[in-house]
Amino acid sequence: MNQSVADGYKNNRVGPILRSSDLTEAVIEAAREDNPGKEVRVDDKGAYVRIDAEGELIIRRETLERSLGRPFKMAEFEINLGSFAGRVETTNEHIRFYFQKSI
Amino acid sequence: MAILERSEWYDVARDTNWTPSYVKEEELFPDQMTGGLGVSRDKWKSYDEPYKTSYPEYVKIQREKDSAAYSVKAALDRSQMIETADPGWASILKSHYGAIALGEYAAMSAEARMARFGMAPGMRNMATFGMMDENRHAQLQLYFPHEHCSKDRQFDWAQKAYHTNEWAAIAARHAFDDLFLSRDATSIAVMLTFAFETGFTNMQFLGLAADAAEAGDYTFSSLISSIQTDESRHAQIGGPALQVLIENGKKEEAERLVYMGIARAWRIFGVLTGPAMDYYTPLSHRKQSFKEFMQEWIVGQFERSLIELGLDLPWYWDQMIAEFDYQHHAYHLGVWFWRPTVWWNPAAGVTPDDRDWLEEKYPGWNDTFGKCWDVIIDNILAGRHEKTLPETLPIVCNMSQLPICAIPGNGWNVRDYPAEYQGRTYHFNSEIDRWVFQQDPVRYRDHMSIVDRMLAGLIQPPDLGGALKYMNIAPGECGEDAHKYAWAEAYRANPYAKKAA
Repeated sequence: MNQSVADGYKNNRVGPILRSSDLTEAVIEAAREDNPGKEVRVDDKGAYVRIDAEGELIIRRETLERSLGRPFKMAEFEINLGSFAGRVETTNEHIRFYFQKSI
Repeated sequence: MAILERSEWYDVARDTNWTPSYVKEEELFPDQMTGGLGVSRDKWKSYDEPYKTSYPEYVKIQREKDSAAYSVKAALDRSQMIETADPGWASILKSHYGAIALGEYAAMSAEARMARFGMAPGMRNMATFGMMDENRHAQLQLYFPHEHCSKDRQFDWAQKAYHTNEWAAIAARHAFDDLFLSRDATSIAVMLTFAFETGFTNMQFLGLAADAAEAGDYTFSSLISSIQTDESRHAQIGGPALQVLIENGKKEEAERLVYMGIARAWRIFGVLTGPAMDYYTPLSHRKQSFKEFMQEWIVGQFERSLIELGLDLPWYWDQMIAEFDYQHHAYHLGVWFWRPTVWWNPAAGVTPDDRDWLEEKYPGWNDTFGKCWDVIIDNILAGRHEKTLPETLPIVCNMSQLPICAIPGNGWNVRDYPAEYQGRTYHFNSEIDRWVFQQDPVRYRDHMSIVDRMLAGLIQPPDLGGALKYMNIAPGECGEDAHKYAWAEAYRANPYAKKAA
């Protein structure tokens, strides 16, 4: 057994996995603005893009509206949210991905 | 008039608990259907679904998802993608639709059970949406392949597969009946939405979408990733259910359900997604290997969420990781060899370039699986096609209903893991499959695998012809090599030489 494969779960990366769409770039931009001091990683797999950060990542409606240049309801996030890492919190003002336990 | 924000009315609107006066509480929510494991309804009040939506939002969002999926399909209908794509790609579509479409109806039924018998209002509310989600998935995946039926009747198996005794259909039914159709609401929340949907569906519906986009099949890529956005929401039914169980001293029972769910899902995705990613998808369009997708989605993301919820890793975790390196290669070899018994045309996927790639992704492949393919290649080049075809059926596992197999090459490594129960011997592919059986033998004991049926005389004559008749797989539907052996010609002048490491 390959130990590095087995240890793959030892990470604290959280964030959305978005289907490729016109939302993707705006979310990346908003994620960087809303999570100052955090490294926001972007892994583009073509059909989907994995956006994550250590422990917690928040995306606010207001920021997203600015980066999109149009009004946006948080419920619309679901249209392109193929999956996500971590726990999720959904409100009208933001979507937050986080872990309670750090490993 | 100002409209209230969802958060201002949601908790009140979704609280559908009341005190029954005409019937007793236990008649309204019988244990057999709720599966509350003795945790009182009062304790379930702490259940809080993290991913919330309301009916008006649901309708609006689903309408947008559907119009996008259908628009992509309409725009690309004339591109004749299927006709011009590599035949291996068409095989992925056929195996996917046949194995998945009606399974979605089973999932819909499971969601409906949670919608009625879920222990918490939030669970019932989200499962109502989940039920409609699964209906959408079934309808989409019956409709999208239908246009291809007139040109290729194998596509008709999207409708047909589950109504037959074809072996892969038996395997899919056995797993989905077990996990979705015949479980109580709490077990469904854990086994279907948590183990199956936050875990494994990502492999087939997002991982494979990446390969689909690479292969230029934007219709399929858009369709399956759109489906996964529904899963992403209703899969969140399971997490808070697990939390309630753990907080009320039911960690061990909860883990048992999760481990059974993972064990069963792993086999299904091993045989369906494994060959699709590592063999059927043309080499130039493979985004990652199956193992790399497993590392990304199952180890890095899903297993991490187990720890987050306070669960331990399954006892078989090391064994399962080890299987990433061989199980799907063995399934692929079997599916290709028994190709007349499937409703798609398996692509061998073992040109010299493919083999270099396989060796790079799975060091040792050439010295193990490659040796079997060497024999097949020799027979094809010598025109002895009959030696590359089956005469009877393989031994199959009494849990997964898939062939019992292991790593070939030097020596005979296949091992049966038998179990005696009430005078009958059951055969299993691994300790994992046997363990699942032993959790509830009564549940599984009467099922007959395809081989049990042959030995019981249900398949007549007891040979391949009789088996094909039993599986209701007609000439014109039987699988054959996707490329009509053209790939083997590369070896005629140059026997394969493994690249120096």
